[in-house]
Order: sequence, then C-alpha cells, then structure tokens
Amino acid sequence: MIWKRQIPILIVGVIGFVTLFANFTTLHGFKSFVNDDATQWFDILASFAIWLGGLNLLKLQSQKILKKQEGWEYSVFAVIGLIFALVAGFVIKGEPAVEWGTHVTAKGTLFKWMFTYMVAPMQATMFALLAFYVASASYRAFRIRNFEATLLLVSGIIIMIGRVPLGSNISSWFCMYLLVLIAGVTVNSIFKNKQYTAISVASGLILVTVSGFIMGWPLDQPGIFYLPYLQEWIYKFPNVAGARSIMIGIGLGIFSTSVRYILGIEKSYIGE
Amino acid sequence: MDFLINTILKLGKVDRRWIFLIIAFVVLIPLLFPLSLPIRATATTQLVYDAVEKLPHGSKVLLSCEYGPSTKPEIHPMVISFLKHCFRNGHKVYVTCLWPDGQFLADEALDEVANNEFQLTYGIDYVMLGFRPGNEAVVKGIVSDLRKVYTIDSRGTKITEIPMMDGITKFEDFDFLFSGSAGYPGTIEWVQYAVDQTNIPMSTGTTSIQVNEVMPYVQAGQVQGILAGMPGAAEYENLIGSPGIGTSGMDAQSVAHLVIVLFIVLGNLGYFIERNREKKQRGY
Amino acid sequence: MNDREFIVGSIVLTVAFLLYWFMGHPHFVEERILQFSLVIIFSGTLIFFTRKAKRGEEIFLRNIPGLKAVEEAVGRSTEMGKPVLFVPGIQDMDQVETVAGVIVLGHVSKMTARYETPLNVPVSRAIVMKAAREACKESYLIEGHPDMFHDDMVHYVTDEQFAYAAGVNGIMVREKPAACIYMGKFYAESLILAETGNSIGAIQIAGTASQAQIPFFVTACDYTLIGEEFFAASAYLSEKPELIGGVKGQDMIKMGIVIFILFGVILRLMFDAGFLNFNIIQFLSQK
Repeated sequence: MIWKRQIPILIVGVIGFVTLFANFTTLHGFKSFVNDDATQWFDILASFAIWLGGLNLLKLQSQKILKKQEGWEYSVFAVIGLIFALVAGFVIKGEPAVEWGTHVTAKGTLFKWMFTYMVAPMQATMFALLAFYVASASYRAFRIRNFEATLLLVSGIIIMIGRVPLGSNISSWFCMYLLVLIAGVTVNSIFKNKQYTAISVASGLILVTVSGFIMGWPLDQPGIFYLPYLQEWIYKFPNVAGARSIMIGIGLGIFSTSVRYILGIEKSYIGE
Repeated sequence: MDFLINTILKLGKVDRRWIFLIIAFVVLIPLLFPLSLPIRATATTQLVYDAVEKLPHGSKVLLSCEYGPSTKPEIHPMVISFLKHCFRNGHKVYVTCLWPDGQFLADEALDEVANNEFQLTYGIDYVMLGFRPGNEAVVKGIVSDLRKVYTIDSRGTKITEIPMMDGITKFEDFDFLFSGSAGYPGTIEWVQYAVDQTNIPMSTGTTSIQVNEVMPYVQAGQVQGILAGMPGAAEYENLIGSPGIGTSGMDAQSVAHLVIVLFIVLGNLGYFIERNREKKQRGY
Repeated sequence: MNDREFIVGSIVLTVAFLLYWFMGHPHFVEERILQFSLVIIFSGTLIFFTRKAKRGEEIFLRNIPGLKAVEEAVGRSTEMGKPVLFVPGIQDMDQVETVAGVIVLGHVSKMTARYETPLNVPVSRAIVMKAAREACKESYLIEGHPDMFHDDMVHYVTDEQFAYAAGVNGIMVREKPAACIYMGKFYAESLILAETGNSIGAIQIAGTASQAQIPFFVTACDYTLIGEEFFAASAYLSEKPELIGGVKGQDMIKMGIVIFILFGVILRLMFDAGFLNFNIIQFLSQK
C-alpha cells in the first residue's frame, strides 16, 4: 500500500518543491539538476517509453490483420510503415560514407529520402485540409445571432481582408461608401420609412464624395477606414487585451493545478 | 425575387464538399495565373527589417528553426529571406533547431541561400548546430553553457574545430536572435528563458494562428517585430527586394479570404431570410 | 493538521525566512524576491481556501455547461450503443494540460464504467498511454466493473502530430462514436478533429488552455471549456471539497491581480503626471 500511495505522493512533492525553489537559488547543483538532469531523465524515459507505444501499435494492428477484422487492409500499411521507418533509421543507411546518427539528415540516405518524399508531403497534405475545414466551419458557424456574434463577424472580416494584399489595395473611401449603404439599411429596418432612408443614404454619399474630393482620394486616409490599419489596431489592442487576460487565467490555472499536485491535494494520478 | 431568395436558401444548406471544391479552385487559379497584387509592409514586419538593418556588419546571429513540413509554406520563406538579409549584410549565422523537423528544413534553406546563392563557406560564414531534444531545457542550456548542449554540430564535427565557434560559449555571445516558430517549443520559450534574462534583441516569424499569443511580447518590446504568417513573409521578401514563395502565395490567399467572406455573407443572408420566414409563419 | 498547527507552522516558517533574509540570504537570487513572495502568497491563499472548504464551508461554483454535458454525452452514447472517444491532447505528461486531461479522463471513465459504454482513448505519447491506462483501470475498479476494462481501450497511435490526427479521424469515421471529448493540449490538428467529429454527428466537448486553438473548438464543438475552466474540471467533476476550495482560492488570487492591475495603472498614471517618483513598471521588471 505504501508503494501505491505514500511513495508516489512523496516523489511528486519532493521533485515539485525542488523544481519550484531551484528558480530562487544560486546553488549550482540544484539549478543543474532542474535545468539539465531532470529534463534529460524525462527525455530518456520518453525515448524508451516509445518502445511500449510502438509495440502496442504493432500488437493492435497485427491482431486486426490476423483476425481479418474490418479495415485490416489498412493495418497492413501501418505495419509496413513501422517496419520501413525502423529499417531506415537503424538498418539501411543508403549512403555508406555517412556516419550513423548524422545519416538522419545527410543527403542521399534512405531516412532523408523517406522524410522528403513521404513524411513531408503527408504532413503538408494534412495541414492543407485546414484551409478547407476553416472555410466550411466559418460558413457554418459565423451567424449574426446577437451583438457579440456580429462584433466577432465584423472584426473577423476586417482581419481576413485587411491582412492580405487585396485589403491594402482597397481604398478607405470604398469602405466609407459601404458603411453609408449599411447605415441606410439599418435606418430602413429601424424606422421603416423610405424618406428617412433616402435622406440618410443621400447625405452620407454626398458627405463622403465631397470629403474625397477635398482630400484628393488618398488610398489609406482616413486611416480609421483603411482595412490594414484597422486590422493592426484590432490585433494590437482588443486582441492583445483578450489574449493577456486569457494568458493570466491559464497561468493561474496551471499554477493552481501544479500546487495541488505538489502539496498532495490532487491525488487522481494514484486513483483517488 | 422569389427565385433569388430560394437560391440563397439553397446555398445556405449546400453540402460542405462543394465549398471544398470552390476553395480548391480559388486557391489553384491564382497560383497558375498570378494577379501580382502590390504588397505593403505592416509596422510589425518593418520592425523586424529595421532590427536586422541596425546590426553592425559581421554580427553573430542565432537563427532558431522550429517548424516542420506542414508549416513550411508560412515559415520557410521567412527563414530564407532572413538568411538572405543576414548574408547580404555580412553577418555570421548560427543555426539551431528545437524541433527535429526543423533541421531538415534549415538544411534546405542553407543549401538554397548560403551554398547556391551566396557561395559561402561552412564553418566560416555559417554553421548548422542542429537539433537537440529537451524543449525549453535546450534554450536554458544555450543560455548557461552552449558547449554543454552542443559538443558536435549536425555534421559530426567537434565544436572546438569550427572557426566561427571561437568565443561562443553562451547565448550572450550572440548579437541577435531570430526564431522561425510554428508552436511549442518556440518564440515564447526563447523570450521567457533567453531574451528576458539577457536582453539580447530578438525578432520572430510565426504562423498566422500564433500571432495572437506572441503579440503581447511584441507590444511589451521583448520581441522586436513579428512576421505574421505568409503575409508577413511576403512583406519581408518585398522589403529585402527578393520576392519568393511567400509573395507568390499571397494572390491565392487574398482570393481565398475574399471567397470565405462571401460564403459567410451568403450564409448570413440565408439565415436572415429563414428567420424572417419563421417569424411571418408564427404571425409576428 | 488542524488550524492551530497550520497557523503556528506558517508563523514559524515566516520567522525563519525573515531571519534567513536578514542574515544576508546566502544562495538566494535577490532579484526574484518579488516572484518568491508572490508564489508564497498565492500558495497560501490556495491552501487557506482548500482548508476552508474541507471544514465544510459551502462554496458556490457557477454552472459550466461543458462539464454538465459530459455526463449527457456519455448517456447519449449509451443510448445509441456507440462508443465514447476521448482525446487527451497531443503532448506528453510534462505538460500540465495533459495531466489535467488525464484527470478528466479518470472521471469520464467512471461514467463509462457505470453506464457500461465502450470507451476509446487513442493517445499520442507512450507515457500518456501508461498514465491514462492507470487512470481508467482505477476508475473501472472503483465503479465495480474491473472486468470491463481492457488495456487496448487506451492505445498508442503515433507521436507525429498530423499522423495522429489522421489516425483519430479514421477511428471517428469508422467507429462513429456518439461523443467525442477533447481535453488537453492541442495544436493545428484541433480543427481537423473537431470538423470530422462534426461531420459524423457526434456531440463534441472540448477543453484546452491552448489559446490559439480555443476559437476552432468554440466554432466546431458543442461545448468548450476555455482556459481555466478546463483546469477547474477536476474540481467540478469530482465535487471534492478540497479541489473546489482550490478553485475558489484561484478566483481570489485573480481578484487580487485585477485590483493590483488597477492600482498599478493609477500609480503609473501618477508617475507619468509627475506626482510620484516611483516607477512601478521598473520595479516589476526586475530580473
């Protein structure tokens, strides 16, 4: 019982305290343990633990093949892939002049060939799926249901267009005309009076046109309507404020969870 | 009018595979037939450019590559442009990688720029220290004792036998850091464990999605500017006068963004029409 | 330890530290005294509220829809006769988010054991596989269904980010789980997983502290735990007083930080206006 309860709690507590307080001491031994040794121990553990994972994968996929379960054909690829990677890493160099170790990135080796022509294209393909999924997710999710959703939508559109060269070539005057039209639609939906709508749209258009002629139609002025400036402002101020507050919350959450572990309050890792 | 409304409603319920197909065309066509839209640098990109320009000739620059093939389109053009900028200004470049994939891509970038374009000498003008496992422990190690972390470079040569490694024992021996980062470990770890302790100036290039997380550090002055995704890479290429893959991707990205906005507008039109119809049916 | 012992212990430690400080504080990084003090004060606040909760004080926890929905999601899976898919993130056990994810897995596996619902936990790291297996095994044992647990419930896929996403997507499309729960540290694969889960009609609950991925989960999932809601999940699901007290302690610390930020803004304003000679930014920027 002591091995399953008290000893794990003691190990977590001691290591946690040492790691935390090593930050405040100049004692070389402590700092060296925390900065170098402890991390290297973890890396060594993780490197050996990968054999557990690999064997588990091999076992499950082989079982599927042997029992001819549904989709067993795909498991053949999984097993072949695993064996091929092991062979490329440990058995066949492909370039005799290159040393073991550096053969991983050296030109002409089997491992480098595998990375360049198999791993890289497959990773790029999976990441490219995001472009399609972002489009379909935005289409499905961006609905003007309430004020906050409208704000999110408008700022999203400003950033999407303002971030790319297309946005920097859209004149601020075009945006102003667009705003006049949107204002007209809003006036119409509130007052439902054609006269009011016509007056508001006409006066808006005249105001913008006269201002444009006076200022000489510069592309990026007034700056408040120029999409790249607007998107930069959104990034730098409301976005950073939100990001900072979430960072503080997350930081506190991490601190609190870690302290609970160190002090032995959270014991779920031993099943309590 | 009814026909238009019904069409909009039908488009609102379209199968997502049609959206995928349209996005595919919209990205492919500008790549085949470029629009050559002019690119204007934003303030954050200009900061990165100015930070590198400020460095005295022959400065020792540490370049850290933390990206993989998936984020290559965004970060690789930044790294290539940065290398060109550094070599053009006569700086020495030391390359390290916190991601294993980063070493392959850093090698590719050095091959393209240092070997093919500038014909520089390995060990004198640039060195590839390579990848070391350990995440932020590697950063801490470089800060305290680089030679403990790197005893050999990526080619197996001892550090003591590389001429440009003379005098380099820790992070403070460098004059500048650039991190091409796609996640963890990356820019934030460099800021927290290296730059904040030593005040060595740093700039970064990250994926668009990571800009949110890094912007507080840019605003606080801990990071001098940021190249934000592929647009940032294109802007930087434009500033150094060497358009590359970043610039060529911008037409496709511009049109794709516009199409996504149109989808969103269409989706909302359909949503409003349906909502009004439901209200009318309920007699409101 | 009772209250008296706790107070006496705290006083003794404080006096000991003060003595150490005034004796020249050897081997202490002086520039980090502020950081050290904050660690002690924050930890003390957490311990105080934890003890208060253990003594029986009622602590109000606001309703977090995402956590309430976990039991509904498991129930839905049971009714439909489909499995529950749990993804504990793609990082290793050295990340607090992964640890928090495995804690939530422990609670979810208690529910799946209770309702006799199949559970599938594909993992990206071998050490997480071991930890998750232990968590599930304990849960099934506590619920009295040890026979229902089998090692292959928690299985390793791959360390590689997108290969893992592809593997999990394949599991979703083939097995069509009725509930997909994502709790841990995620990166770019978050939207791929969430969109695929959406396409199979599963109820999706996500929890992460990865800032950049929260918007994707919010868009594609039915419920999302944002930032510290995710870390509070353990307290919420277990309903243990000491954990709930910890959440209250966290909230008190946050309130203190908000007050300090406002106070700091006022101090800085007064410094800029020339009324005060104390620069709070410089004081806080000490390394």
